[in-house]
Amino acid sequence: MENLIKKTLGEIKKQKIKPAPRWQYLLRKYALWLGFGAMIFLGAISFSVAFEMLNQLDWDLYRFAHQSAILYSLSLLPYFWLIFIGIFLVLAFFDLRKTETGYKYGWLKMSVFSIGGIILLGWFFSLVGLGGKFNTILAKDLPYYGQHLMMTKEKQWMQPAAGFLAGKIETASADKLEISDLNGQKWIVLLDEKTLTKPAVRLSIGERLKIIGSRKEVNVFQALEIRPWSGQGKGNGSGGGHGMGNGTGAGAALAK
Amino acid sequence: MLKEEKQTDADLVKMAKRDPELFGLLMERYQGQLFLYIRRLTGLGQDDVQDLLQEVFIKIYQKLNEYDEVLKFSSWIYRVAHNHIIDYFRKVNARPKSNSLEDYEWEKIISASVQIEKEIVDRDCAEKVKLGILQLPIKYREVLILRFLEEKEYEEIMDILKKPKGTIATLIARGKEILIKQLKAQNINCF
Repeated sequence: MENLIKKTLGEIKKQKIKPAPRWQYLLRKYALWLGFGAMIFLGAISFSVAFEMLNQLDWDLYRFAHQSAILYSLSLLPYFWLIFIGIFLVLAFFDLRKTETGYKYGWLKMSVFSIGGIILLGWFFSLVGLGGKFNTILAKDLPYYGQHLMMTKEKQWMQPAAGFLAGKIETASADKLEISDLNGQKWIVLLDEKTLTKPAVRLSIGERLKIIGSRKEVNVFQALEIRPWSGQGKGNGSGGGHGMGNGTGAGAALAK
Repeated sequence: MLKEEKQTDADLVKMAKRDPELFGLLMERYQGQLFLYIRRLTGLGQDDVQDLLQEVFIKIYQKLNEYDEVLKFSSWIYRVAHNHIIDYFRKVNARPKSNSLEDYEWEKIISASVQIEKEIVDRDCAEKVKLGILQLPIKYREVLILRFLEEKEYEEIMDILKKPKGTIATLIARGKEILIKQLKAQNINCF
């Protein structure tokens, strides 16, 4: 065994072996942490976009679409982004596992770090509006994405045959509205005593609305419920009748 | 030499980085343990184990700057040795040899696994049990060796194998379980 030490030291000298510089090790070490950070960042962006999409949709329409709440919700989920969140989550998890101390955390802690990191950072991105901006840029620059991969509020509300219509008021009277829908097509929206107009709605020219009801004829729509474009205009409603300008002022729907 | 014994591993690492000759002190400190560990894992003969040990020491020397004092030095060098052996198995596509352990070492593993109350009286039986252990996949075999022969704590085994504590506990329990099943399936009733 004494020989082994001599032999090894001789080999080290003969081959001029030197300890590898520490920076190489640190580079590898920090690259893994950087990779983990990058996966959390990308996962968080995906999360904030998905959150933004989900947040702008109306989730109670299943009642009017005659579907179960679960099935309707499943039809609205942004699968494209959920897949990305899943991919970045898995990559973040395995990146963390590969770090110098990753093995000490255990599966549960690593899952909590990865999922928690994506949710917290994603939530922060949503707060500062990053998800919405990113989504808008993608929809603008990638037509396929906008048309096929995202469920937007516009898509959700531009289904007259299914009983959902959205547009801007062009003229308003006590029993009907003339609106221009999101595609620029004109519609006559009939109002009656059964039409529920949410408190935040202002039925004035230029206002953007979301209307639940049924299509009567080509470009004629019977309104059952009217909501402001932003939000659901929550409140007690207008007592069943359709009041003109009974919104709450600051909370009123504003056209974009 | 007494003075050298008082130096901590971390001190010796720092010294060895400056002067390769001083790396000899670290080798002297750990060559016995690593020799046994490599032999237990590979089952190779003395010369082959020495060759592997030399490669392991050279690798340790090359990686000296990677050593972080938050880790026990012994755990770190076991980790380097372990990784080298796994690479060796991959490279030569070899399985551990059957003569890898001494009888008393087999008995340690067997008694830890089966919790025998009676001594193994039949030598032929003991041989069958050895074969059973050798048939265990390396991931079970290595934890059994580290736990029962190297007598490492769970935390050290974690650091050596870079696996979470729960996984180590599972591997040990599962390794024992598989071994017992194998023995029962082969109608080996030595105890």
